[in-house]
Amino acid sequence: MLVGVLVLESAAVLADPANAGTPTPEEEFRRGRELFEGKFDLQGRIRTHVADLPPEVVRCGNCHAVADGPEVPRSLAPRLTHELLIKRRSRRGGPASNYDRSSFCALLRDGFDPAHVLISVEMPRYTLADGECAALWRYLTGSGGNETEPH
Amino acid sequence: MGVAALMAVAVGEDITPRARAQLVGADHGRVVPPVPIPNLAVRCADGTSATLDALVRGHVTAVHLMFTGCSTVCPIQGAIFQRVQALLPDQRSTRIQLLSLSVDPTGDTPAAMRRWLERFNARDGWIAAAPSFQDLNVIWDLFGQGRNAVENHTTQVNIIDRRGQLIFRTPQLPSADSIADILKRV
Repeated sequence: MLVGVLVLESAAVLADPANAGTPTPEEEFRRGRELFEGKFDLQGRIRTHVADLPPEVVRCGNCHAVADGPEVPRSLAPRLTHELLIKRRSRRGGPASNYDRSSFCALLRDGFDPAHVLISVEMPRYTLADGECAALWRYLTGSGGNETEPH
Repeated sequence: MGVAALMAVAVGEDITPRARAQLVGADHGRVVPPVPIPNLAVRCADGTSATLDALVRGHVTAVHLMFTGCSTVCPIQGAIFQRVQALLPDQRSTRIQLLSLSVDPTGDTPAAMRRWLERFNARDGWIAAAPSFQDLNVIWDLFGQGRNAVENHTTQVNIIDRRGQLIFRTPQLPSADSIADILKRV
């Protein structure tokens, strides 16, 4: 019986596209860019809401510019650069902190920054698979793991 | 707010809309006392001209601030109003309306506001209007809650009763369910 369950679980893992193979850094970067720009739908909602918003209104690129890319007209949302995410600094009045992939994913999912300060209600919270989150992190930082600036 | 204005309120004298709006200090919740919507000219998405007080009187109105050139919070605000309309199928009989009030009078032409409404499949009962540039300060005083820049406008929803008085402010980006619930109770 146990063998049967293991076989079924293995089959399910293999059938899951998220486990279809580890993406190369280039594939992960490309996937992150496509997610960021809205070529693939993201699932997000406002923290106080009970339902998701339409994907077209929760695209990252609606508010945030990236690295040295074009600005988002009339947006006050921060430009997302490697330095902004990786460099240790105070955010929202909290103690100095920096993002790593894990805290970045926590921010997107739950709305807490690395110093555990809650971000603005206007930033949606996202339901993200680990692979999606890793791809966004790769796109925004060029980094694949939990590397952070030495401090 | 000055002492003279406070005394004017105390004795029931009329005061300017700007001074009256300063009475409202709470971030969200009931507005006490209710604040009459001022008589100021607006351009509507259908190309007509009206006054803001005439536009809201006789309806229960939910108002959000927006501008059509906004890609950040405004589309979220629009999606929320779209969902409110889905929750209020009998808007005509209940005389409930939604108002997208532009804070960018120079950019938001009637055509731009029509495109805004179309983008969210707005049905009858959801209108859009823009004040004149000269009256924008009155809008900020009444609804802005200290966020008096176009790009940083508040995302609260303001509830106006049938007598044309501001009676309630929601928190930022309220859910459609909560807006519909408030509108049904007024």
